[in-house]
Amino acid sequence: MPPEPSRSEGRVGAKLRELTATDPLGRLATEDPWSAFRRVEVIDLQLNFRFRHSLGKYSRFFLELEHRRLMATRCPRCGTVWMPPRPACGNDLAITEWVELSGRGTLAAATECAYTLTTGGGAARLVIGYVALDGASTLLLQQIRNYGAARRLVAGLAMRVVWADEPVGHPMELFWFEPAG
Amino acid sequence: MTSSAAAEVVVLGGGLSKFATERPDGTPVDWIVEAAQAALADAGVEPETIEHSVVAYESEIIARQLTMGQVVHDALGLCPRPSVRVEAGGGTGGAALRTAFAYLRAGLCESMLVVGADAVGRQVPSTTVRQVYAMSGDVDFEMAAGGFFTAYYALMMQEHMRRYGTREEQMALVSVKNHRNARFNPMACMPLALTVDDVMKSPPVAAPYKRLDCAVLADGAAAIVLATPRWAREHAGAWRDRARIHYVGAGCGTDRMRLGDRPAPYPGLAHFRAKREAAAMAYAMAGLKDPRRELDVAEVADPYTGVELQSYEDLGFCRYGESGPLTERGVFDLGGELPTNTSGGLIGQGAPPGAMGLAQAIEIVRQLREECPPERQVPNARRGLADIHGGTASFSVVSIFERRD
Repeated sequence: MPPEPSRSEGRVGAKLRELTATDPLGRLATEDPWSAFRRVEVIDLQLNFRFRHSLGKYSRFFLELEHRRLMATRCPRCGTVWMPPRPACGNDLAITEWVELSGRGTLAAATECAYTLTTGGGAARLVIGYVALDGASTLLLQQIRNYGAARRLVAGLAMRVVWADEPVGHPMELFWFEPAG
Repeated sequence: MTSSAAAEVVVLGGGLSKFATERPDGTPVDWIVEAAQAALADAGVEPETIEHSVVAYESEIIARQLTMGQVVHDALGLCPRPSVRVEAGGGTGGAALRTAFAYLRAGLCESMLVVGADAVGRQVPSTTVRQVYAMSGDVDFEMAAGGFFTAYYALMMQEHMRRYGTREEQMALVSVKNHRNARFNPMACMPLALTVDDVMKSPPVAAPYKRLDCAVLADGAAAIVLATPRWAREHAGAWRDRARIHYVGAGCGTDRMRLGDRPAPYPGLAHFRAKREAAAMAYAMAGLKDPRRELDVAEVADPYTGVELQSYEDLGFCRYGESGPLTERGVFDLGGELPTNTSGGLIGQGAPPGAMGLAQAIEIVRQLREECPPERQVPNARRGLADIHGGTASFSVVSIFERRD
């Protein structure tokens, strides 16, 4: 969460500041058609949203992560193996079937990020990448750790899944990928 | 009116409310009113004659207002006439244009006020913006893994660099060009004189992207007046007195939300299949076969420098892998073969999602009317393109405009 902004003195608790806004087009006050509307109050508006978020028909993927299994879905009609899984095939809408993948694969692309949503703009660097898991037709995005130098992370690098031992917040934090070699 | 007798669509005027990184002077509704006043004045149209509106904005959460389409329509004094709100992420303005085009072509109305805005500048903490925008991609798998849009675009460019040898210095040239073009645009929020070295040394964000490779999220609004020629003759001063600009092609394409689900090798991670589809549709409608030579000016989606390069290729301006070398040759500079993002684009002019697709169209109209400041005016421009997309081009719109005297 960003730091709470400092508030101004006065009877209105949410008030952050009063100001006279400048004309964005830089006109003289005598030529500004909105000159009577330039006195501005800025308040602290905080909206808190929380959800009971169902993972729906994707849930088995997340539940099996707790048992160290990576589950994809396969379309019985076209044979596409979706990872992330889809309950209905994205090609032909056939209902898919669950299949377990080995957790080994190759790197398709990776990027070293200076910030992420989880670091909230802090200094922690994080690498995420797309991995083509053996047996999957699509690519799975996940964090990559223990890779040594970032220049090692080239397409085609052999990767393996690694499982978290400690409790986590979100199910996707139960695993990451590392170079297999 | 049947499809065989579909109406022509003309652009009568456009207006912007200043794009800036923070505008405490108003709300998105206030800015839309300003932009609409400017567009109606430019068109020579009285507001009470407008028959319909299209309202474009991306996010209710960031706008801090649900049903803003209705709120805006009310603020514009257009009740009880009809209105529709559209949303397509970063492609929202383009979707609004194409929606208006369709309504006019279908004969549902003969005049349209298309307005768009977003308030994503510093009023909204960057962590809030990033979280909300990450929700426009995959929430349960990719956002939860730490994914966000700069990273997705960075992954695309990593693949483009691997496949074609595209270099970071070539991307930096796009930043230099677009920031430079913005210096001649008083509505732009990032007018800067930069060197490639400045871009290369700016702080890293997600490799290969650095801060000066990225468009700046901004506050601002845009509005444009579209009509049929028949309505224009009766109601618009601009139709009698100004160069006549026709909206001659509108295409739309889509792709899978997750990059990793897209077929390989094409589009794979490196290309915009939705954009190629949208461009093909627009070119067919406008009768274009060789866009690089038949277009005189273009506004191309540039949320990141590499995206502009990728877009050149899927818009058919060059072959795959050629965008970097052509950029080094200055093909897309002012004075080049096809000047691109003469407004400054999203990088130089700014990036309020609901407004930017409309701002692109307004720049093309200004160019075709020869109304730009001389430093950024493309001489004798007769035909121009606007290209905008949402997500990682999971939704794409291409529009073609033509001057007919």
